Amino acid sequence: MAVTQAIFYLFATVLVVAALMVITARNPVHSVLFLVLSFVNGAGLFLLAGAEFLAFTLILVYVGAVMVLFLFVLMMLDINLQRMREGFLNYLPLGAVIAFVLVVEMGAMLAAGGSGAVVGGDGALGGTEAGNTTLLGRVLYDTYLLPFEVAALVLLVALVAAIALTLRHRPDVKKQDPGQQVRVRREDRVRLVDMPTEGAPYAPDTGATGSKGGEG
Amino acid sequence: METLYLLIPLASLVGALGAGTTVASVREIGHRWAIPGVAVSFLLSLVVLADVLAGHTFNGAVYTWGAIGGLELEVGLLIDRLTAVMMAVVTFVSLAVHVYTIGYMHGDPGYNRFFAYIAGFTFFMLMLVMANNFLVLFFGWEGVGLVSYLLIGFWYTRESAIAASLKAFLVNRLGDIGFVLGLGAIYATLGTLAYEPVFARAGELASSTIAVLPGMPWSVASFAAIALFVGAMAKSAQIPLHVWLPDSMEGPTPISALIHAATMVTAGVFMLARLSPLYEQSLAALSLVLVVGALTALALGLVALVQHDIKRVIAYSTISQLGYMVVAMGISAYAAGIFHLMTHAFFKALLFLAAGSAIHAVADEQDMRRMGGLARHMPVTHWTFLIGALALCGIWPFAGYYSKDTIIEAAALSAIPGAGFAYWATLIGVGITAVYTFRMYFLTFHGPERMDAETRAHLHESARVITWPLVVLAVPSLLAGFFLLEPVVFGGYFGSSLFVAEGRDVLGELAHHHGGWGQYLPLALALAGVGLAYYLYMVRRDLPARLAAASGPAYSALVAKLGFDRLFEGWLAGAGRGLGRALWRGGDEHLIDGLAVNGTAGRVAAAAARLRGIQSGYVYHYAFSMLIGVFALVSWFFLA
Amino acid sequence: MTFGTPEMLAVLPELVVMGMALGLLVLDLYLRPDQRGITFALAVATLAVAAVLAAVLVPGEARTLLNGQFLHDRLGAVLKVFLLGGTALALIYGRRPLQRLAMYRGELFILMLLASAGMMLMASAGTLLMAYLGLELMSLSLYTMIAMDRDSIPATEGAVKYFLLGSLASGILLYGLSLVFGASGSLALDEIAAHAARAGVSDPLLVLGGVFVAIGLAFKLGAVPFHMWIPDVYHGSPSPVTVVLASTSKLAAFALLMRLLVGGLGPMAEQWQVIAGALAVLSLVVGNVVAIAQTAIKRMLAYSAIAHVGFLLIGLASAPTSGYMAPVLYMLLYTLMGAAAFGIVSMLDRDEAPARTIDDFAGLSRTHPWTAFLMLILMFALAGVPPTGGFMAKLYVFQAAVEADLVWLAVFGVLMAVIGAFYYLRVVKAMYFDPPERTLGPVGDRVAQGAVSVNALAVLGLGILPGPLVELSLFAVAGI
Repeated sequence: MAVTQAIFYLFATVLVVAALMVITARNPVHSVLFLVLSFVNGAGLFLLAGAEFLAFTLILVYVGAVMVLFLFVLMMLDINLQRMREGFLNYLPLGAVIAFVLVVEMGAMLAAGGSGAVVGGDGALGGTEAGNTTLLGRVLYDTYLLPFEVAALVLLVALVAAIALTLRHRPDVKKQDPGQQVRVRREDRVRLVDMPTEGAPYAPDTGATGSKGGEG
Repeated sequence: METLYLLIPLASLVGALGAGTTVASVREIGHRWAIPGVAVSFLLSLVVLADVLAGHTFNGAVYTWGAIGGLELEVGLLIDRLTAVMMAVVTFVSLAVHVYTIGYMHGDPGYNRFFAYIAGFTFFMLMLVMANNFLVLFFGWEGVGLVSYLLIGFWYTRESAIAASLKAFLVNRLGDIGFVLGLGAIYATLGTLAYEPVFARAGELASSTIAVLPGMPWSVASFAAIALFVGAMAKSAQIPLHVWLPDSMEGPTPISALIHAATMVTAGVFMLARLSPLYEQSLAALSLVLVVGALTALALGLVALVQHDIKRVIAYSTISQLGYMVVAMGISAYAAGIFHLMTHAFFKALLFLAAGSAIHAVADEQDMRRMGGLARHMPVTHWTFLIGALALCGIWPFAGYYSKDTIIEAAALSAIPGAGFAYWATLIGVGITAVYTFRMYFLTFHGPERMDAETRAHLHESARVITWPLVVLAVPSLLAGFFLLEPVVFGGYFGSSLFVAEGRDVLGELAHHHGGWGQYLPLALALAGVGLAYYLYMVRRDLPARLAAASGPAYSALVAKLGFDRLFEGWLAGAGRGLGRALWRGGDEHLIDGLAVNGTAGRVAAAAARLRGIQSGYVYHYAFSMLIGVFALVSWFFLA
Repeated sequence: MTFGTPEMLAVLPELVVMGMALGLLVLDLYLRPDQRGITFALAVATLAVAAVLAAVLVPGEARTLLNGQFLHDRLGAVLKVFLLGGTALALIYGRRPLQRLAMYRGELFILMLLASAGMMLMASAGTLLMAYLGLELMSLSLYTMIAMDRDSIPATEGAVKYFLLGSLASGILLYGLSLVFGASGSLALDEIAAHAARAGVSDPLLVLGGVFVAIGLAFKLGAVPFHMWIPDVYHGSPSPVTVVLASTSKLAAFALLMRLLVGGLGPMAEQWQVIAGALAVLSLVVGNVVAIAQTAIKRMLAYSAIAHVGFLLIGLASAPTSGYMAPVLYMLLYTLMGAAAFGIVSMLDRDEAPARTIDDFAGLSRTHPWTAFLMLILMFALAGVPPTGGFMAKLYVFQAAVEADLVWLAVFGVLMAVIGAFYYLRVVKAMYFDPPERTLGPVGDRVAQGAVSVNALAVLGLGILPGPLVELSLFAVAGI
């Protein structure tokens, strides 16, 4: 038990420190890396709680995909850090005082509140005969079917929003349309024009080809 | 049946609103809405009358508009015999006037607007009549006042019309003060505004007191009754609040007939009858009603003698006849008063419409000195006018004879203080009525044709759409008295809808005492009056001018309308204006505007400018303000 | 477990809206730009059909369906009818303005449908999870719709501000929800209510959670001091989206409030009553006073919206004692008034002369007499002048406050209403007494004109005959 507890505190401490660093680090790339660290520690906490599926999802999705994307974006953008931090120090004292008092108050209230109800525990997902993942899947498609579907809709909104906000057809930009290029037929590109011969001397061959360039 | 009741006013309302939509149109199509609407109201009123005669009455709310504290604001209807009669009369006259208007207002640019107004008037009048509580009564009361104001000022480009409409509005407002005070006293004492509980507990009103002036307790019943009567005085043009009615003749003639003769001005009388259980609780109020009515009946009849404008003569005669009705209310002869109201509605509307027809014929000239000899050119108008005139004078067997004589005889029998004065005033009034009525008749329809040659050449009878309503109205003017007197007045038709206290039932007494020489006195006086008018205006045409010169100050007093206008315009209005100016300068400009209104507004504006600065546009300011809010609320609950 | 037909039938309005959103997403791909009207018409029809379905399927008594996730009751049904109707109106009003803004695109209609679906789920949420998901579905759609006016700097700014602050508020709300969950051990609102009744004030976790939930809701409603986003966002948003923001999204936030605070934390009414009262006072002062200093019409109406939240909060503060009819009535009427007022503003917003300031309304009575008349009704209604519906709404709220022994709050509200009348009347003055300075073009298309006329006249009619709406509100809150 003592070992488990020790591991818990280790993960928890690193998690909190890393989270703090996320918002205080001067370099945004460092911030992202600290975020990755905090995710990894969060995954460790999940593992401790016996939720291995969540732990692996966290690593795979957030650390593997989302954070890498973040890093790419940050590296490609040229952000003026000095300007972003302007005023930060001006507001820090007041903000810190308020945050401190809030934390103390909330802590005091929660401390006074005692334990509260016990949520989850071993039986939360219904026994041990099936795997964690199976149980999660069952619950998702049964008790939480409606929220699950609505969550899908929320993601759909995000998708639609991303496309609607970024995809725009600007008339002054020329780009390729592969579909059009594939569908193109001979008649679109080549036009045969009859040209009358001009006098006799040179005229054994007939016609000339005029080509009409495609858009690309 | 409930739906049917509701449909009656609503049909008129639909007509009014429909006509309202055509106001912008240049085509004369307003009547296509208004007349079917009012016709439906009339036919349904007849159905209701028949139904009520069969013994069905109704009293209840059809819609609850809202509730404030314990006070339910309900649209409630009371359908009983009194209501049914009034509904039938109002819609009948209204319908006749509507038809007449098609011809009369033809060519007027405000044609459609006119129809919207008069159909709307019918709606408000029906609401007034059908109310089962004071609130709906007040709604109708103010509604008809509003339409009346709009119609007097109908030709709003004429300055005199605007002045007249303003006068009517202001005088009625004066009356409304009384009305609202009365309502307040009733509500304060009984906590309800519905008729039924108020009537049932009228005794409570009489026994509780109110100190209007400190140290002078007064029975609430008397106070409320008198206050409400002040409202009725304004609406029914009783001395001294009658001054608006003659001026209201600035409006088009059809509305003079409908509103300022047949229906709206009788609202006050109707209210007195409706509230008979309240008035019976207060002898003082009855006595006041009686004296005011008698004074009005006599004095305004005298003024009518010297008027030259044909519509003003009829207007003064209306005031005088309203005086008769009010006298009837004062002597507790409610049924007789309502009966006179009914016959008067018919023959006075007839007189006005016929006068309008004559005025139209002489190129809109209203001065009788420029008329004359119209009888030959306008036979229908002439004969119907004559029927109206005979009915007004009270010549047997026309309607007015029955209704007016009943009031006079009842006054003779009444023991209420002031009844003796009322008897003589109304009796003399009969003679005066006959003189001015036939003066008007002879000057207009007989004698030399005094209009200019141009007009004379074009004299002709009015169109059928004008003459037919005259004929239709002439029938009840002729027959209503003969056939309806016994059942309505003595037959106990009204039953429980009118309440007369023990020992004051003069009509019941009259039913037994009918007879004696006194019965013939009014008729004799009326005949004498007619004879006198014939002598003065047909035989010795020079006499009136010499009489006027000889009577000197009396004559000028009459021409000056007994000085009432002077009283209001010169003294009261002057004093009011002076007081107003003082309050305006001192109170309004300095105290209220300077300190309260503009001062507050200035301070609020300054605060607004300062608060606006907080909205800086920076997201972190916004987020910060939210966090402050979180902080404040959490701290609050932490400390609590 | 099985989903029986009755269960699915109850969710039918939601399914219709969501299904059509997906269907239109596909269909729109195959339409040429000049056929966009088909998507538009189908979106409006979907909302209308769903509204009718919601009205038809109104249950006799409240039931929780789909494992407690979905609460099927009268309040939800009534609110849904107004939510869907209001959104449909916003679309109808917005046709012309959207075309002008180059926002007349399939994506917008789909987002509008998805936002409506979110609102409906908020109105029917049976668990904390559903409440939150519904809120996010609506909010994300709204953020996107605002940002879709890409060439407008105020719109982009508004969208980003709304997004950032909205995320902050969502975070606060979510934190509150998690505390409530932690305290009660359940996500289901009825079980939370049971726990709250048992533990009550003695559980600080629940109290703290309740405070955070209340703050999150206050942000969505726009109560002071969580209101700062409202003027900027209303002002910056493309007008047709502002209509939705001001009317139905407010109503949806109210629905969420009814679910979370009344349904879930009802037994703790004493706690949040205090918050409602305090926020009411602040909102009334800031909303009414600052509105006076505004010159831009949409900003002015935005502050007026804040002030109206103040009146609503008066009703809520008194509701635990005097019943929920008054706030529900107020909110339903405000939805109507807000939709019509912003609708007219959006329709007057035209290329040649965009109506941005109050002065742009100068002389409207001469150029557009009917529109001016409708605006007159709406301004009077917002100010609470009889005989408009706005008067009735205020009357019932003040009456409720008096019944709940909060006379001071009622008096304060009346005073603020008087101050408030000033800025509404400024619009009326501009329309009727000032000479026209700019010529505004025709107002919307015929359908939109008809719809806004019906909408505004309904506001007037409900003041003259308030019976039906009062009955409806009583019907809606009968189960509470």
